[in-house]
Amino acid sequence: MLDGEYGEGYEIAMSVLVKLGDIYGADRMLKVENVHIDGAAYGWINDSGLELIGKLASSGARFRVPATLNPSSIDFDMWQELKIPSHVARKQLRLAKALKRMGGTPTWTCAPYQYGADLRFGQKVAWGESNAVGFANTVVGARTERLGDLADVCAAVAGEYPNFGLYLDENRRGQVLFEPDRLDVDAFDSTDYGVLGFFVGSIAKARVPVVSGMPEKATTDQLKSFCAAAAVGGSVALCHLCGITPWAKTVAEAFRGSKPEEKIIIEAGELDQARQKLSTANEEPPEVICIGCPHCSVQELVKVARLIKGRRVEDSVRFLVFTSRAAKTLASEMGAVETIESSGGRVIADTCWNFIPSKAETLMTDSVKMAWTSLGKFTNVALGSIEKCVDVAAGTMPRG
Amino acid sequence: MIRVGKIVIRCVPVSKGVSEGEALVTSQPMCLYDSLDPKSGRIVNKRHELYGECVSGRILFFPYGIGSSTSAATILEASRCKKAPNAIVNLETEPIIAVGALLAERLYGRIIPIVHRPEIDPAEVIKHHSVRVNADVGLIEVLGHGRDAAHVKANNA
Repeated sequence: MLDGEYGEGYEIAMSVLVKLGDIYGADRMLKVENVHIDGAAYGWINDSGLELIGKLASSGARFRVPATLNPSSIDFDMWQELKIPSHVARKQLRLAKALKRMGGTPTWTCAPYQYGADLRFGQKVAWGESNAVGFANTVVGARTERLGDLADVCAAVAGEYPNFGLYLDENRRGQVLFEPDRLDVDAFDSTDYGVLGFFVGSIAKARVPVVSGMPEKATTDQLKSFCAAAAVGGSVALCHLCGITPWAKTVAEAFRGSKPEEKIIIEAGELDQARQKLSTANEEPPEVICIGCPHCSVQELVKVARLIKGRRVEDSVRFLVFTSRAAKTLASEMGAVETIESSGGRVIADTCWNFIPSKAETLMTDSVKMAWTSLGKFTNVALGSIEKCVDVAAGTMPRG
Repeated sequence: MIRVGKIVIRCVPVSKGVSEGEALVTSQPMCLYDSLDPKSGRIVNKRHELYGECVSGRILFFPYGIGSSTSAATILEASRCKKAPNAIVNLETEPIIAVGALLAERLYGRIIPIVHRPEIDPAEVIKHHSVRVNADVGLIEVLGHGRDAAHVKANNA
């Protein structure tokens, strides 16, 4: 394939991946079953990314394995209403066309493990998007490295990725042990799971954390929040949650015979401190309230609808709920989207807050990932559960 | 290894190429996606200690990358806009950064030498100095104080 007999696109993709494998000591190229492409938004990959993908598509390259797509820069149905600049929309439409031409599944979601992607235990895949990588490794026990943008497109064209990093047993072994001490994890909501993930990530950094004593009843949405936050708190692409991660039912299994390099006892006070780092101290009311980072599931949309039904979003607040097209379609049929929108909220699909033009300086969110990544951009950031976000949006509760 | 008269630090090559410039050094990990504006080469993350600095034409040292996998595309775009650093030095280079450099070479023929795993933490040694990064063999050479950079460049031209 390297000699270009399959066309220039294949040659570009393969040569970049083979070189990457050489740098990181891969012994061979690995066949992967599917790919999740992080670099599907023009706003993230810019003109150079569009140029690469356009070049691959026009050279005749096609994805050899199923490939799901991360959020785009626009909601394909309502980008004009959201005031996305038309030059951005045009380039996103070109990018979408090229990705679909190569065989990409237009999921446009950062939570492809909920709708669109097939994952199973032990399966080798090549995923980008840090929360999705974390979820695939941590919750499902599939195996993926954390792919850089555009490396994921190359992997989809090649159907292969170099065998290094988290594909190898020795790099999946636990390194740091976290033991919750009298934490009432059973009572945690999704935001609390995010705070826990953020705390674990900020201490583990690039090491593989192991958390003992996680409740089996943790929901997919709660684990989604945990993985997203662990990835931004450190660079966690795999965390063994004993009781949940299939490869690590017990602490001993997670460490595979090695000893923890470090042991951390997690107390409630430390999580409170972590939570404080995720919001600013001042108390201005939020101009924007965002839910859905990572994208809301159908169940989360239904929950927001149930909470907001019969109430009204205050005129001074923009209440935005982000989700995938698939979840929005299903939740629409259940009446949830109409309930949220008739109360003054907006359900936005295919995209994320990063691409919505806004002059807002104050934000509230249920997402630890969003709170952390927004701290440098907003003067005021508040973190609260979905319930609190809805209460503040409807003006029935002071912030905080 | 430190030799008399000339400071040389051995490292492991990531990408290939040789380049020099004034070292821009931080001890804070960095997410290039949310820190680097690829169109201007400036560090735009207000929470980072290099905020306001320009990486273009310089040798960028940060210990390791954090956060978004979009950083690969950021390097590629900075390269397209001719605002990429002349070379990158890390304690540990993520594959995400390496991919950006490999694509820049393949797509635009622009070489960004990258080295990592230096035998000593080079931060204090190279700070404010003009350095040469040789990613063909895996060496950082300290050429002189930053203000001598132009002089060194002229000598090597």
